[in-house]
Amino acid sequence: MAAGVRPAPGDTPRSEAGDRWQRALDAPRDVWAVFLQARRRDPHIYVGDVHAPDAEMALVLAKEGYTRRDPCVNLWVVRADQIHATTAGAEEMFEPATDKSYRFGGSYRQQQKVYRSAWRLSHREEDQ
Amino acid sequence: MPASSMPVPPMPEAQPAEDDPERLARFTDRIAAGDQIDAGEWMPENYRFEALRLINMHANSEIMGALPEREWIPRAPTLARKMALTAKVQDEVGHGMLLYRVAETLGRSRDEMVTELIEGRGRFHNVFHYPAETWADVAIIQVFVDGAAMQTQGALRSCSYAPYSRVLKRICYEEDFHIQLGLDVWRALAEGTPQQRAMLQDALRRWWTPIIHFFGMPDKVSPHTEKMLAWRLKVKSNEELRQQFLRRFVPIILEYGLDVPDTGLRWIEAEQRYVYTEPDWEELKRVGRNGGPKSAERLALRQKFQRQHAWVREAISHGAAA
Amino acid sequence: MAGALAAIADPAVRGAFREWLLRTADDELVIGHRHSEWTGFGPDIESDVAMSSIAQEEIGHARVFYEQIGPDDGSTPDQLAFGRSPREYRHAALLEHENGGWEFSIVRLALYEPFEAGRLRLLGASGHEPVAGLARTLAREERYHGLFAETWLARLTKAAVEDRGRVQRALDEAWPDALGLLETTPADDLLRAAGVLGETPAAARAAWEDAVRPILTGCGLAIPRAAAREGGRRGAHGPEFEQMLMQMTEVRRSDPEAQW
Repeated sequence: MAAGVRPAPGDTPRSEAGDRWQRALDAPRDVWAVFLQARRRDPHIYVGDVHAPDAEMALVLAKEGYTRRDPCVNLWVVRADQIHATTAGAEEMFEPATDKSYRFGGSYRQQQKVYRSAWRLSHREEDQ
Repeated sequence: MPASSMPVPPMPEAQPAEDDPERLARFTDRIAAGDQIDAGEWMPENYRFEALRLINMHANSEIMGALPEREWIPRAPTLARKMALTAKVQDEVGHGMLLYRVAETLGRSRDEMVTELIEGRGRFHNVFHYPAETWADVAIIQVFVDGAAMQTQGALRSCSYAPYSRVLKRICYEEDFHIQLGLDVWRALAEGTPQQRAMLQDALRRWWTPIIHFFGMPDKVSPHTEKMLAWRLKVKSNEELRQQFLRRFVPIILEYGLDVPDTGLRWIEAEQRYVYTEPDWEELKRVGRNGGPKSAERLALRQKFQRQHAWVREAISHGAAA
Repeated sequence: MAGALAAIADPAVRGAFREWLLRTADDELVIGHRHSEWTGFGPDIESDVAMSSIAQEEIGHARVFYEQIGPDDGSTPDQLAFGRSPREYRHAALLEHENGGWEFSIVRLALYEPFEAGRLRLLGASGHEPVAGLARTLAREERYHGLFAETWLARLTKAAVEDRGRVQRALDEAWPDALGLLETTPADDLLRAAGVLGETPAAARAAWEDAVRPILTGCGLAIPRAAAREGGRRGAHGPEFEQMLMQMTEVRRSDPEAQW
């Protein structure tokens, strides 16, 4: 690395091939990640960050920071530097290399049969 | 340790050292292939510098941009306008929050950037150095200034720095509401009393040049511009964006029977573009150095509140350390 | 919309209820105006945004109550909000003071919120729809306002002795006017006699103090002993309110025939 140039956040001295696959997110201590739950049936979704001195203040500030226009029933906050993440270098391991249709319940024809079957129709209520 | 004194990587110098050429080439190829760079990934120092400068200035502009319009919150003439304008200015402050966070991922602390701005060493868009003299200025700012910003922000949604691109989508979504609100005020004035129409026309006249200036001088072909385009930190040229703005917003003026303040503005059908009177670019340069009509006053106002709040900020961060 | 007052047959009770609603609307308008003045100038970006929301909600609440009062004499909410002389406003003086330091605004909000929560409860129990229902709905938003004030108050007072001293001074300054929130007029007696207002002034004061005391002592603050400074409920307001009203009406007065 050239003199006078400091490493980028998350960067390591290793070559690209040997890069770390996971790290703690690099964020200032007072940054909190905010997760918003739109309705009770929904999972919490990451919507952005707030700066705050502590968790209680982070929740108070996140309410108006992130729910002014979006429906919300619940908020989570966590210090952003407590989030562990896979690195960009590890992205390719998520991409399937082989056919994974065995996870999807068989052939298209079989799927359609199950879908239209009486069992499926009677269980549609559970989707609501 | 108070958050404000946590170690933060220093800003790179104006002429960053060269990066590893192979890595640089791979990086440039990725962007050329349409890829985006996310926070925490390796990037050339020059890319970091340019992205940071762009986003930092944008964040600064949102914070300073609140000032012209907020003067009219106490004077808003109806309860509906009062709430709407407060909400709109609030959004701008909120955008500042989002953008400083993006800039932080490139290596500067929010405190550092805000201090630099307030002390007059930071830069913010030209339009926010001008006065908002009347209620009608609110309509002009919300329709035409926000409309101008929308052109740039809209284009940059496809920029290469992913955190910025993501935040811009949210910003554009909210700016759209602002323009709609602005059009409502515009309409009430344009269709109102002769006095209201005159106030609106006068506001438009006073804001016209700063708005044309906003997009910057037509780009020179230069290594810098080429690099910004190659790195997709610039997506459309200054002139393209200005033309886009004129195409979308001049019709609004004409629809309401008001005058475009530039008598030299003309649509050239054969070239599918507007010609306009060349504005005084020296004024833009002066304003860019914080020498606009309201620059000193607004920075002084920010400094006053910064001083007033200093003990509050200290109390809060002290508590955080506990 | 007929509004809440149309349903009240007795003109004296109707007039008293109108006064109660006007106090409520004016309180919310004035504090909302003051809070909206923080937009762009808060101590940090997030609190700036949050306080601004509180302001918008307060103004929204004012509008809800003006909408209930207006039909009685054909006034629109804007006419009520912007169109009266200073003596006709019924808000408490506490709320019209200029914002001053952040600590004053936080102390003021911390003192006002329990009073407003109590008032909405009483309106909710008034038996007069749609005001009663509206009051219960608005209380949902008020809860956050109180939370914001208390969360900030705790953090302003716990860091350093000098900080708590500043907040104590703000509290000492605000206290007499805060007691003015509880000022009563003959309207209160009428409403109690009519079974609309379910609380005596003494009970109202006790309830407010019971709510406010733990918040303040929990922050290490001393409850001031000063007497109430009253007059706002009778239309006595100071130069700060006159200036505020001039500013609020500046654009309207520039073109009285205009729609905005």
